[in-house]
Amino acid sequence: MKSMRQPTLETLGLGTVLEIFQRGKLPLETGDIVDQVFGPSDSRGSLVISGANGIVGAGKTMQLGSRLSPFGVRIVGLDFPDAPDGIGRQYPGLLRAFGRERAGQIMSNIIRLSYDGKNLPSELKGLRPAFLLEAIPEILEIKKKHYQVFRDTFPGIEIRSVTSGFPSSQLGVGIAHPSFPHEINKVWETVEQEPGIAGKLFWSLGLIPVPVSDDWSFVLDVLFCGLTSAALRFHRASNVPYWRIDKYVRRLLGPNPFRAHDAIGAKGANFLTWSCLHDLTEKYGKLFEPTPELVKRKETGQNWYPLNHARPVINWRFDEEENQLFESWVLGPIIQMTSLMLHESRAHFSHINAIGELCAQFRRGIMAVIRGLGADEAIKKVESYHRLHKDAANAAWYPDVFAQIESNAWQQLYVNAEHDGTVGVITLGRESYNSDVNAELNRAIDWLKAERIDRVIVTGDFHFSTQMVGADTSEFYPAVEDPSIGLAISTNWSKTARRLYHEFKVSVAYINGKRCLGGMLELLMHCHYLVAADDATVGMPEVTLPVIPGMEGCHWPLRKAPRENWPKILQLLLTGRSVPADKTVGWLTDFVGSSAETLPVVWKIATGGDHGLEPRPLAEGGLSGIPAEINLPPADSPSMTAARKAILACIRESCETPLADAIAVQARHSADFMSSRDCRKGMIGTEANKVMNI
Amino acid sequence: MKDVAPMFPRARIPYGTWGSSFFPAWQTSALAEVNIGQFAGEAMNRILGLRKIPKSELEYLIIGSTIPWHWKFWNAPLVASYLDHRIAGYHLEQACATGLQAIVAAGAEVDGGAQDVVGVLTFDRTSDSPAGVFPERRSYERTMVLSDVWDNFGFDPATGKAMIACAGQGARKYHCDRREVDELALHRYDQYFRARASGFLDRVLVPLEVLNIQGRVLGTVDDDLGIRKVDAASLRAMFELDTCVTAGTQTHASDGMATLLVTTRERAVELSTRPEIEIQFIGKTDVRADPSLMPEAPALAVKKLLDRVGLTIDDMAVLKNHNPFAVNDVIFAKYFDFDWRKMNNTGCPLVWGHPQGPTLTRVTIEALEEAVDLGGGYVLVFGCAAGDVGIAAIFRVTDGGDRR
Repeated sequence: MKSMRQPTLETLGLGTVLEIFQRGKLPLETGDIVDQVFGPSDSRGSLVISGANGIVGAGKTMQLGSRLSPFGVRIVGLDFPDAPDGIGRQYPGLLRAFGRERAGQIMSNIIRLSYDGKNLPSELKGLRPAFLLEAIPEILEIKKKHYQVFRDTFPGIEIRSVTSGFPSSQLGVGIAHPSFPHEINKVWETVEQEPGIAGKLFWSLGLIPVPVSDDWSFVLDVLFCGLTSAALRFHRASNVPYWRIDKYVRRLLGPNPFRAHDAIGAKGANFLTWSCLHDLTEKYGKLFEPTPELVKRKETGQNWYPLNHARPVINWRFDEEENQLFESWVLGPIIQMTSLMLHESRAHFSHINAIGELCAQFRRGIMAVIRGLGADEAIKKVESYHRLHKDAANAAWYPDVFAQIESNAWQQLYVNAEHDGTVGVITLGRESYNSDVNAELNRAIDWLKAERIDRVIVTGDFHFSTQMVGADTSEFYPAVEDPSIGLAISTNWSKTARRLYHEFKVSVAYINGKRCLGGMLELLMHCHYLVAADDATVGMPEVTLPVIPGMEGCHWPLRKAPRENWPKILQLLLTGRSVPADKTVGWLTDFVGSSAETLPVVWKIATGGDHGLEPRPLAEGGLSGIPAEINLPPADSPSMTAARKAILACIRESCETPLADAIAVQARHSADFMSSRDCRKGMIGTEANKVMNI
Repeated sequence: MKDVAPMFPRARIPYGTWGSSFFPAWQTSALAEVNIGQFAGEAMNRILGLRKIPKSELEYLIIGSTIPWHWKFWNAPLVASYLDHRIAGYHLEQACATGLQAIVAAGAEVDGGAQDVVGVLTFDRTSDSPAGVFPERRSYERTMVLSDVWDNFGFDPATGKAMIACAGQGARKYHCDRREVDELALHRYDQYFRARASGFLDRVLVPLEVLNIQGRVLGTVDDDLGIRKVDAASLRAMFELDTCVTAGTQTHASDGMATLLVTTRERAVELSTRPEIEIQFIGKTDVRADPSLMPEAPALAVKKLLDRVGLTIDDMAVLKNHNPFAVNDVIFAKYFDFDWRKMNNTGCPLVWGHPQGPTLTRVTIEALEEAVDLGGGYVLVFGCAAGDVGIAAIFRVTDGGDRR
């Protein structure tokens, strides 16, 4: 078996994506791993979360509680008697997410116990603690004593710390470091001896464990605290207010580091950022040294943004020179810090990249940003930063790592390809489609073709892409101003999608649950077969944004669907509402079932086995008889009404055109609408204006 | 250049670390919509940023303003917070002398060794035209609303007269000629517009974009709004409000801020964009003229100052003053037998307005810039203030080559 680069699933000890299809089953069943960690159902142990009323502890009590309660695992929330009721504060969110009945079940599965920090409560024994998730304050000696008490009382207990910076080697336990916001963010950076039990447990529960090396601070913290530190240094040099720097950082990379601190809670967040940078400074030098502004705010807990009654009255607008200076101060250190993480082999390149996107609001992960710059430009940015901050040049700078920039590990951050000599698998490791994914997908197809593979499965990576939400709308920001950019995006992405249809003998797309929407659905529907797990929903929400689907969604599904089902496709396109995948069999999907049913079917289709499905032919000529009107619920807004009209016009014209010319028709409609007043006033236009026109 | 001993041997004004907003006339700009204390703090931060001075260099802040503004009680510490730099400081106020008094006070702070880097930040918004609610015990209407910023000009409680009456009285005492006063005013306008056209004022004045509460741009303060080009005929045709005083020969109310730094010699070398330039404090004095003779007071102050420091008017390379009335300059010229065409070369408050607090700060900055263009020399800055007060100060600008 060969792959373009190491599948990220393999870092969890869960094999490859191709093996999942070969075996016809997932690498782990949740029930099995729960039995392994917590014991059999008749003597199930519990999960203890210490520091359960803190921000992390309470969030994770909710997240793990909701996922483990169906398996009868009790959650024990342990904290000091005087700790504020952090768990109780989570209840409204739980209610919103799950409804009253389920929220009640989850809460009733949580047992709250108090302790004095030295002696464990006697009731704990009866609850058979099997796993301790420690979320107590960041004081090493206290943490160590805490583990000792548990080990003395419950020999063999699995312990993981959520620490925000201590290495496992210092703590003496494994690490499961979660990302904010703790109730909903699925990403955990894990440090375990080998791909371990915590990573596997989290993966089976639908979370995203990300193995990282055992070093001071974590990838997310280096990126986020590092970016905050870079922004602070720029502030110190330029006087530009924090709120304004945030806007420029957001335009450049995506995050609002200062707003994020205030949103998390400045008191705690300022301390954690300082603590992270302080530890990193001790280890790596002045690159990370906290600025006096951070030291002061660590002590005072003061917000970074002005109070409401003191909203800023003077704007700051950078000229070209100031912008260059800003980029040197901000990009330089982040690139340098990334060089350090790569030098230390902190994680799979895709992990480092994804953590920035999934946990720190980066529009494109740092590895993708550096790849976009190119090695020489990245090095120049750091050197230019060193001219401004000479102390940073003395350590923790490894320009040699950029020699790997052309490797598949760096070039295929989001899309991987594997094959066994006959069947290939293309895995998409990003929830939304962007130009990076598009380029990587083309390279993956090229690689499989070069390997003489003409049977392919296209699917998620069973790791980072827990859902497929469609196109990354930030890609469209420039297209709002310039229709030629929209035309290029739509044309290029559609051409890529067609390669899945034209360049393989058999192509089969697999939707592995949850949802597949918009651009991702358009991409996958280009495969000869589309198979979905039965808990998946599919939809085309473009009309709600509003935009016109640009990857042939306005004609491709109609060319493959029986005429009597065309109104259903029009409903999908014109209402924006998702439908369960099992309601689309025969006109959008070809087979829907449980993973036990679908995985073998996908493999049979790919290998040419007896799958019993009739291929739905693609009509390549012009279609006639597209319904002029269908019954639709009222539009939510005038712009949605306009979008419906525009989408319907696009459907009619692109369907009536022969397939060979349809890309041009659809792309023109899509691009024209994207630069229209209706789109500019909609979600994408508003976001583009907010983020880019500052 | 004669050598005289400086009044503050330790203090320097670092060249190029200063700036001023434009001074738009009353109610003509976005400044009419903001808290001027906040605006001034944020503007100072922006100006220091443009001058590449990290605000962390500031140790102390002396602010000056004359018109009540929201939260004025919280004084310089609040304004420093608007800079997002928590330093101490105090507020200083003496009507139109405020700007120069604040600079001198900063020099004293540095010279006395109390601080090494002091920010001077003066501002006012006459657009506030405050409806002050003062429960004055003897007021005939207790807790009445007083729009007394304007009344200040109309009524000096010590003399019972309006300021414009002082101008008229001064003109009469010095036998000023209306034609000369009009000619002087015309010349002052010409000086201002020539300075604008030459780009000189771009080194002093900083355009500032003002935001509303939603963070959207409310307007850009990028012009001394309210200044109209005048000609001799129109000036001549204007109605005389008092002797030699017309609408064209007196200043107008405006809004704005101006800032500069005062520091030690060593720090000035570090902070200045041109460290070879040294700016020292030579002397300063104040006088009080006879009742309702405010236009005479600046000349008296200058005379007293020159006598004290041992210099003459001819030793001055640059003369620049706060002249709310054109008769001020005519009286000054008569008093010293001096050609008024040789002063206020880059504009003056008669033309660009009268926001009180920052007026003499901007005058000083422009005067220092002018001296630098001349290659150095003594700079005489002076003006009048409410209560028939005159203030004058002398600075020495030396261009000594690169001293780094």
